[in-house]
Amino acid sequence: MSVDPNPAPMDCSDIERLLDPWLDGEMAPKEAAEASVHVETCAACRTEADSRRAVRDGIRATLRAAMGPEAPGAAAPEELHERIANAIAHDRRPLWRRLLTPVPIAAAAACVLAFMFVLAVARANDPLVEEAVQRHARGLPLEITAADAATDAVPEWFKGKLDFNPSPPRFHRPDVKLVGARLSHISDRPAAYMRYELPRGHAGLFIVEDHDGRLFPARVLFSDDDVPGHVRIVTARGYNIAIWHRNGIAYSLVSDLDAAQLQGLLEAAALEAR
Amino acid sequence: MFDFRQNDSTRFEFENLALKHIDPLYSAALRLTKNDRDAEDLVQDTFLRAYRFFDKFERGTNMKAWLFKILTNTFINRYRRVVKERNIVEGSEREAVHERFISREASDSAANPEAWFFDRLLSDDVLQAVDTLPIDFRLVVILADLQEFSYKETAEILDVPVGTVMSRLYRGRRLLQKALAKYAVLSGVIPAPAAGASIDLEAYRRRRGKSA
Repeated sequence: MSVDPNPAPMDCSDIERLLDPWLDGEMAPKEAAEASVHVETCAACRTEADSRRAVRDGIRATLRAAMGPEAPGAAAPEELHERIANAIAHDRRPLWRRLLTPVPIAAAAACVLAFMFVLAVARANDPLVEEAVQRHARGLPLEITAADAATDAVPEWFKGKLDFNPSPPRFHRPDVKLVGARLSHISDRPAAYMRYELPRGHAGLFIVEDHDGRLFPARVLFSDDDVPGHVRIVTARGYNIAIWHRNGIAYSLVSDLDAAQLQGLLEAAALEAR
Repeated sequence: MFDFRQNDSTRFEFENLALKHIDPLYSAALRLTKNDRDAEDLVQDTFLRAYRFFDKFERGTNMKAWLFKILTNTFINRYRRVVKERNIVEGSEREAVHERFISREASDSAANPEAWFFDRLLSDDVLQAVDTLPIDFRLVVILADLQEFSYKETAEILDVPVGTVMSRLYRGRRLLQKALAKYAVLSGVIPAPAAGASIDLEAYRRRRGKSA
């Protein structure tokens, strides 16, 4: 050692601790070089290093043989693949997470059957939001109430009063009760209005003919503006509003629900309709 | 009325990036839970959680390491409490095998006495030996020596400092080496000449002597 020009060379006790990281290539280059110098010059440490390398290589080869990709029984069973694919396909990620997931718009548009909730900032003067909220909040008297007639009679009542057929989604939830309906309008177009009673608060559904897509702002985002299942959820004046477009009809559901509850409500409708 | 199934581009992207890692995850899950059913549940939970938190995954970083992090977190939070560590039973079969060579003289010894038996191990012995490691060492050895994650990646997966990985790996390798030698001896794959193994064999004889 006296001939070593390095003023503070690693000694055997340093090496003892550092042999494994040295063998694993996990040391900083400078330290690794110092360790190499010591191991080359110290017979005892060289023997120890050889032994440890043999153990490490033996362990690695052994683990690979018993548990690696080639090992019998190491592959996930086919049934597990199916379970996972299924679980993912049917998973409902929390709304806010779904909204935050960056989805390339081109890819989303290319995927015609894709269902998406889009959290949108209300456009200035979006009639499906602004007018719908105003009219819903005003709470004008209903022209027909569900108490007067069977629930199914309410859509019947609109026949002949509108030049389109308003077909509301069936919510299929016992806690969602149709209270009644009246005629309304959105952006000077005649609209059907239906009021629902919810466990907490109310919801009002506007259905308006929109064959030219003028009312529905989704076409700003998506090239195909008539994709069923694109639901935008907008917050305005303390209401959460779901708006969507289907077969030339625009829908605006103004509710006291929070966004996740509103989504749940629509999902219940969708599940039953399939 | 609507199609609510999530067959959107996010799901396709996730399936593309993540599902190809199912085999190493399952193989690790088996060694953590020590039974098929829990391993399958653990892997399924891992993928579901990964899917739900997919927006947290930084595109372009190591998906496999990210999945292993979720796997180990899920295991530690949920399964570790309920999965009973299986006892290492030295059953009558093992003892019978043991009897055949127990009086044999040590003959084999290679240049590296600590390592010479590795290529003679039975797969089942290896798995049992791995299972005897305390969980912290088992995890580090699986991550660093089987999956060959770097120290830094392993540290991130386990949420511990790199220095901790270093010391756990050092101890884990020594413990595994001993356990492997012991199982190799017990199942008669090797006689009992190696220094590391003979200590265990002595203890084993004493235990048998007492119980007999």
